[in-house]
Amino acid sequence: MSRRKPFEFGPAPKGTPMVWRSLEEKHRDPEETRKLAETEFPTSVVEPANLVGRRAFLGVTGASAAVAFSGCIRRPVNEILPFTEQVEYRVPGAPVHYATVAERRGEAIGLLVESHEGRPTKVEGNPVHPASKGGTDAFAQASVLDLYDPDRSPAPARRVDGAWEEASWDEFDKVLAELARSHEGNGGDGLRLLVTPSTSPSVLRMREQVRRRFPGARIHRYASVSDQNALDGARVAFGEHVRPVYALDQAQVVLALDSDFLVTETGAVRNARAFAERRRPASPQDPMSRLYVVEGTFSVTGGNADHRLRLPSSQVEAYLRALAAELVTKHGVELAEVAGAVRGGGTPKGVPARWVKVVAEELATHQGRAPILVGERQPARVHALAWALNHALGNVGASVQLVPAPTAAAGEGDADLASLAADLEAGRVRTLFILGGNPAYDAPADVNLAQGLAKDGVLSVHLSTHRDETSQLCNWHLPMTHALEQWGDLRALDGTLAIQQPLIAPLYPARSELEVTAMLAGLEAWRGYGLVRATVRAEGGVAGAFESFWRRSLHSGVVGAAGLEPLAEPAVRSSDVVAALGAAQAAQAPTKDALEVVFLVDYGLFDGRHGNNPWMLELPNTMTKTVWGNAAWLSPKTAAALGVRTDDVVRLSRQGARDIEIPVFVLPGHADWVVTLPLGWGRSSAGRYGNGVGFDVHPLRTRDGFGFASGVRLEKTSGSHKNVQSQEHSIMEGRPIAIDATREPVRTGDPRYADMPAYSDSPEFAAYRTVLATTPPLWEQVDYSGVNKWGMTIDLSACTGCNACVVACQAENNIPSVGRTHAALGRMMHWIRLDRYFVGMDEDNPLVALQPVACQQCEEAPCENVCPVNATVHSPEGLNDMSYNRCVGTRYCMNNCPYKVRKFNYLNWNTYLHSEDGEPRTYGDMPETLKMQYNPNVTVRFRGVMEKCTYCVQRIERHKVVAKREKRSLRTDEFTSACAQACPSSAITFGNLNDADAAVTRWAAVDRSYKLLAEIGTQPRTTFLGKIRNPNPAMLQGSATTEAG
Amino acid sequence: MGADVIKEIGERPVYPEDASFAHVTESVARVTENPAPRGWWMLFLPAVALTGGLFAALAYLVTFGIGSWGNNHPVGWAWDITNFVWWIGIGHAGTLISAILYLFRQKWRTSINRFAEAMTIFAVMQAGLFPAIHTGRPWFDYYLFPIPNQMGIWPNFKSPLMWDVFAVSTYMTISIIFWYVGLIPDLATIRDRSKSRVRKAAYGFFALGWRGSTRHWLHYERAYLIFAAISTPLVLSVHSVVSFDFATSVIPGWHTTIFPPYFVAGAVFSGFALVMTLMLIARQVFSMQDLVSIKHLELMNKFMLATGLMVGYAYAMEFFVAWYSGNEYEQWVFLHNRLGLRDGEGNLGPYWWAYFAMVFCNVVVPQSFWFKRLRTSIPWMFVATILINIGMWFERFVIIVTSLHRDYLPSSWGMFWPTAIDILLYLGTFGFFMTLFLLFIRWLPMIAIAEVKAALPHAQPHHDDTAYGASPAPIAAE
Repeated sequence: MSRRKPFEFGPAPKGTPMVWRSLEEKHRDPEETRKLAETEFPTSVVEPANLVGRRAFLGVTGASAAVAFSGCIRRPVNEILPFTEQVEYRVPGAPVHYATVAERRGEAIGLLVESHEGRPTKVEGNPVHPASKGGTDAFAQASVLDLYDPDRSPAPARRVDGAWEEASWDEFDKVLAELARSHEGNGGDGLRLLVTPSTSPSVLRMREQVRRRFPGARIHRYASVSDQNALDGARVAFGEHVRPVYALDQAQVVLALDSDFLVTETGAVRNARAFAERRRPASPQDPMSRLYVVEGTFSVTGGNADHRLRLPSSQVEAYLRALAAELVTKHGVELAEVAGAVRGGGTPKGVPARWVKVVAEELATHQGRAPILVGERQPARVHALAWALNHALGNVGASVQLVPAPTAAAGEGDADLASLAADLEAGRVRTLFILGGNPAYDAPADVNLAQGLAKDGVLSVHLSTHRDETSQLCNWHLPMTHALEQWGDLRALDGTLAIQQPLIAPLYPARSELEVTAMLAGLEAWRGYGLVRATVRAEGGVAGAFESFWRRSLHSGVVGAAGLEPLAEPAVRSSDVVAALGAAQAAQAPTKDALEVVFLVDYGLFDGRHGNNPWMLELPNTMTKTVWGNAAWLSPKTAAALGVRTDDVVRLSRQGARDIEIPVFVLPGHADWVVTLPLGWGRSSAGRYGNGVGFDVHPLRTRDGFGFASGVRLEKTSGSHKNVQSQEHSIMEGRPIAIDATREPVRTGDPRYADMPAYSDSPEFAAYRTVLATTPPLWEQVDYSGVNKWGMTIDLSACTGCNACVVACQAENNIPSVGRTHAALGRMMHWIRLDRYFVGMDEDNPLVALQPVACQQCEEAPCENVCPVNATVHSPEGLNDMSYNRCVGTRYCMNNCPYKVRKFNYLNWNTYLHSEDGEPRTYGDMPETLKMQYNPNVTVRFRGVMEKCTYCVQRIERHKVVAKREKRSLRTDEFTSACAQACPSSAITFGNLNDADAAVTRWAAVDRSYKLLAEIGTQPRTTFLGKIRNPNPAMLQGSATTEAG
Repeated sequence: MGADVIKEIGERPVYPEDASFAHVTESVARVTENPAPRGWWMLFLPAVALTGGLFAALAYLVTFGIGSWGNNHPVGWAWDITNFVWWIGIGHAGTLISAILYLFRQKWRTSINRFAEAMTIFAVMQAGLFPAIHTGRPWFDYYLFPIPNQMGIWPNFKSPLMWDVFAVSTYMTISIIFWYVGLIPDLATIRDRSKSRVRKAAYGFFALGWRGSTRHWLHYERAYLIFAAISTPLVLSVHSVVSFDFATSVIPGWHTTIFPPYFVAGAVFSGFALVMTLMLIARQVFSMQDLVSIKHLELMNKFMLATGLMVGYAYAMEFFVAWYSGNEYEQWVFLHNRLGLRDGEGNLGPYWWAYFAMVFCNVVVPQSFWFKRLRTSIPWMFVATILINIGMWFERFVIIVTSLHRDYLPSSWGMFWPTAIDILLYLGTFGFFMTLFLLFIRWLPMIAIAEVKAALPHAQPHHDDTAYGASPAPIAAE
């Protein structure tokens, strides 16, 4: 809807010398020539729509999508239009963003997806959506590559004599009709559905309809990673199906019990953002929250803790009971009957007294602002007790809201996986639909699906994106759509409903879970689009104005304004809590001979669903920095006692479970006598990238040991398996690299540190200041006033270590993965890496320092003057630019880079990993689908070329072009780099340092800012903000801030 | 030419009294005329085979990329540049012997200078190979040359790698010209002795019509002097420029002002060692013990002792400067990366063995040359020169790889492991070098006939009337 008039070529004024392009033209009548030219080269065929800002642009495109999908009467409304006719306002080369939503462990994360000519290439957070507020996580960033996975199932298939036979949906439809007929006859007896938990109203509605159509059918529900325990615990405590929404930006004290709430727990993106709000002081006077973590593993959240207690997961309950008892007796917290149940337990062994005394004091002092978070790994009764405490402390309704869970709705009162296995075994199942999920891989070891599925007379159908482990056991496989290909809807934790709209027509003949459920329900109109519209219509409650409401919802990414109402005045059912608690016996603490294992949601593969995603396989685990594999994490003390070292393969065995073999990784700071086992690895049918990578730990995971399990024996085998790490050295060797300081001495005016109003005066910072003197420049300085002076700040205090920036950069900048072999050689290509250091002398209780490092864009860049061919040069705006076409690859710049952020294409990584058999090949070809993911605005680099972070120069230039066309200068923070945009905790800011209002300028001036290795005289444009830790002086007692259990 | 034989009072001439002009001509020229001895073939065939290995490795490298090597992040340069610096260092001996020693009137040089010059050229050829193929996209190497082009981009003249291009190519050019000019009178000698038409034509072509007239000699001597004068600064400049690759960087262990003299001394050291190794073999195979006497060898050993001491001094000085600078990164490099002290995680520096191998070979081994017995022992000097070259290779490896593998940020520290292609390429350059060298001694006069003759006692106008031990007045060159 450009308001600009198209430029028209008027007739040439008289006397203009005639310019001719051919002899014919020369001899022709000039007027005729002009006409001819006009027909041949019509003006303004392509009319740029860019006098419109991002919001308006999104509005227009969202609306146009809606028009395209719904407005046309004569077209099938569910098709995405091909580009045989140009879509209005669609400019080739200009990306378009669409709002959609992604599911994450019961949470829904609102997304804006960038699309180039109909190809989704990059996922961003939706600033309007409450779960995202513009941030994303690594999983969302990586999801776009899953879409283009070359190993996705291409068609429905039927298993004939153990081999796949390609089939079509038509054939399946016939089979389904036949099945439906027979089951309608018997009321659905023998018909079973195995589904994953869902928060989609449409899916839940369809499941209900299935139930209605087949009253005898049963729906079983299973997910390897869910929030079931939390839901059950809240139900015990409040008698209602509710989910917590934490307001961590309101919290003064946070107590996390075995909870990785910053990265993998439900609502992590939301939590990380809110938590960081209060962890990013601009001055010592700013308020700051304090994080206590009690955990049996060493999670990223534990790495962020101000105080961390290493306590086996099984002992967390005893700790919480002791804490509750202390609160009741010493601080008069009202727990009603629960008080009696928790009293008398005493402090569990291995818990220092101050962890009960001081923490209780903190919770009591900050009532209402001291939420207790319990991890999903803990049983429901621990959650229930925590809710009783949260309620008694006044946190419920203040720093945590309880919102009705959509799973409480009908359709989710389902049976579990074990009963399905039992029914299969007993021959009570005739037809089984497995809709999504991969239970054959991730089911507990004591649930044997394979045996039941192999029985005669069972027809099993698996709907899945890949022909995975579960498909291998089924009679039918149906390809499932990726989240970016389907219509759907999802409810976020706080109840906000969002529409999932497709970015692209399904790449393969695939249908969504919603659609297949609707087919089962017998709906003629089973297409997702209509179902979602019906849901939104019901939800929106608008009668006449539905179309505009639908369009608004599509374009903003949320339906309506707010989520569900939180519970007004929840009351704790003390007797239920007591009943739940009383049933449990005090757990045995693990010992050398009876270890405890903890199952960890993987930071890259999640529950294994990203198992064929090379970005995720090559994503360094924040704590161990391992890539392309998992390991059993042990504490140094445990490893020494058991006589094992990193890379030794050990056998873990446990009563009632199957043995596994897995290499050891010795992780400082891990709890003693505990083994952490990351889930999701060692898949056999993941695809060409993920097959056989890592070790499957599910054989050790049983129903009664689902989160953690005790009584595990560890034996050393003779084997050895190299843990490939992206970073092999974990300490800073006393160098001023990731700088931190503690807040308390500065803030309280400790007499020892009198006259210290600023962080830069704190003893830690002051020590660094002496070495941070910048070397004076050799040359005359370039004057950058009057131009855009791009800069970045990275706040180490706000960075949680979630890796979203690493994957976002990879997606934005076409960064290839190199595979396990070359990762081991040190050839990984990440432009931004997350450095992880352990700080402190005690290897049992190290502090963790995290530091994202990308190109620092030095003004005096050491790389530039050594390049013999001028391939890396300085831009007028002070960027250190790379010209890939000019680079011959001497690697001199990389050698001379003190930050080692330049990455060399040692082989042609673009084709290297992708051959169908998984065998790396230099001269293979890249699957066509993967090419579709590439950002067309970023050069794809060939082997032999150096590359590095460019501050997303393609974004800078794109917005400069837009601004120039609109005859204006760039607005403050009009755009940002991919890493900054992805960061859920806003630890990274990017912008124009010459703009006084820009966030980057404000943060760069904060007094805890410093430049990395400034003493070399490189004058980096990236500014780091030193990490501020907020330990409680009462806890310190002159020792480390984390302690052993 | 035509200067005195005796350098110092009381010293014997470098050639035996009975070595006649005819004897010199005969013993040198016959090598190119007689069929090659079995020893030559025994060296030549493996050398050709290794050359084949070199080209196979090169083909593999260009086909698949630099990833065929062990280089990685952070070790961007490893064996490639180590080999480059090592070979170019070896090339230094030739110019030093032929130019600087010429200007200093070291007559003993005459029996080894041709040999050393040839070695220089072939060594520089091996050296030049590595910068050319170490690039990620060698087909664009021409970007490094200041060729006017449609892209309108010049090379970056600020880059030391650019200076390398000029320094090495200049050095190569001058070395070839100098060598060729020196060859002309000898080529004419062989032409004159030739019996077959082909030989006559071939040698005649390259002899450029040399007739040995006084006018020829006058111009020849003048030209030779000029080239010697041009080459002399190159001896210092080439390796200084090569050292700038490291000295101008910001990497601890590279960023060192001592590098230019340190590198030049090391280059001469290793160059002499390789000349010795080859010479010891050649004089055995072609029975030239009288032209290359133990006296020559002893003088060479003294040279190595001197340059070895210089190199040892540089090693010590690096530690002193690291300590004196107060720069913790620099100190870390020397204490941990080089000496291998334990790091904060309690692990030994992984490359301590390379540093100690270097110190043993380059500092300890040459000390044996203080002793006359060892200095004149042919088996020992053969072993010692080989050890010295191993040590000099390790010196470059230590500087390049151990500085890079652990620099500023411990998060990006790494390790380097060579691959089969790394090893095959390095061995292949030996093969190629030896192939060229063996072809040279087979077909060209490996000792400068004319120059040796001029240094013979008979060339002295007054050699008959001066008793040895007296003091003949030095006669200046015309």
